[in-house]
Amino acid sequence: MGVRKNVNGLTPAELVELRDAFDASYQLADDRGYGFHAGIHGLPLPMYCRHGSILFLPWHRAYLYFFERALTDVLRAARGDQTVRVSLPWWDWSSDATHSQGVPTAYQATDNAANPLSAGPVVLGPSDLQLVRDNLPGAISAGDDPVTLRDPDDPDELPRQATVARALSSTTFAGFSQILEGIHNGVHGWVGGAMSAVPIAAFDPIFWAHHSMIDRLWYLWQLSPRGRNPPASLLDRALPPFPMTVRQTLDISTLGYEYAAQVIG
Amino acid sequence: MVTLAAARAGQNDQTRVLDLAFPGDAEQAPFSRADLVVSGVGHSALSYEVRVFLNNPDATAETPRSPEQGYGGRYTVFGHGGCYGDEGHCDVPAASDDVTDLRPEHPLTPFTTYVTITEALQRVLAAGQVLRTITLVPVSLTPRRADRAPAPELLDLDDVSLQTYLTTTDAAQVTTA
Repeated sequence: MGVRKNVNGLTPAELVELRDAFDASYQLADDRGYGFHAGIHGLPLPMYCRHGSILFLPWHRAYLYFFERALTDVLRAARGDQTVRVSLPWWDWSSDATHSQGVPTAYQATDNAANPLSAGPVVLGPSDLQLVRDNLPGAISAGDDPVTLRDPDDPDELPRQATVARALSSTTFAGFSQILEGIHNGVHGWVGGAMSAVPIAAFDPIFWAHHSMIDRLWYLWQLSPRGRNPPASLLDRALPPFPMTVRQTLDISTLGYEYAAQVIG
Repeated sequence: MVTLAAARAGQNDQTRVLDLAFPGDAEQAPFSRADLVVSGVGHSALSYEVRVFLNNPDATAETPRSPEQGYGGRYTVFGHGGCYGDEGHCDVPAASDDVTDLRPEHPLTPFTTYVTITEALQRVLAAGQVLRTITLVPVSLTPRRADRAPAPELLDLDDVSLQTYLTTTDAAQVTTA
């Protein structure tokens, strides 16, 4: 069972594994690699992600599931070790630490060595890259091998715990999904750069920590007395391109992961 | 309900002011929650946020987001930043009534969102006033912060309505720890 943790609670060894896994995935140009997985969300077409939709939460849970599995696969191959396992950490952007720090240290650029979590390669064809540069200046770097950029806002502009609590007090799946997606949208805008636009957001490594937080909040709401399943009419809906239905996303224990308890202080 | 088409331009044509009265013709019912429901929200262009002000038709992007200014909250649209397909690729087709059409809806199908303005509306009423206007202040969320600016051209919605509820759950807290 994989255990997703708060990114600020990762051990040094766990952070090394996470960084090594992302780095290894950057090296693969096929459908095991980072470009393939990031591209499922947006560019290159088709864009599969579901936003402004009641499928927002199930679709992104499936998305993280397949990417997390792929990360473990590439790390095992890179290390020749079939026992190693990578779990996507969550970034609690509502925490006091984030409201003073902003982007977690683990995802910031470092002075003395390249940090694969500080930017991701934007693996797109020339025409897509040109459209991104025309439509979204400041989202990706210049040159033949662009990477994602960020331009984060004031940390205290991030969602507050009271806002999260209001989402968790929702009594219907649709209401919960709507308010949580709205919170999610604000964080994308807060990070800026590639994260601010649907077509290239998933190329930024922090995308996955952000969505791990979203998925965790859904999980917490599911556990709460107010947690409800999506409407029955949705349960057998497919979540393309993933071979998974909404129903199959509802119990994370069947997906082989869980969330660590939040440790404060 | 007020449509965007019925809204009037606010300061410098950068905002939109909606005449949305509360209480309306009917006697005011007690409420524990008030939502400003925004329908038909488009998300094909740049990301943007919309700040909501109550009874402040002169609000702009420079107006402090404070209770004194009638600030009620904001919603954010996570946008696509343009179309990346050929001509017509981003045109959202009308909803199909064909029960055999099992294709997923178009990714750019407009959606509904809401801003909970309970406290802001209660402040208005507690001051012995009524709600007369809602001002929508759209601000772009471009990749570069330096490029962010008032963006009336991004405001894309069908209509806005105020929905009030009387529930026992809104005050409850759910621990996140």
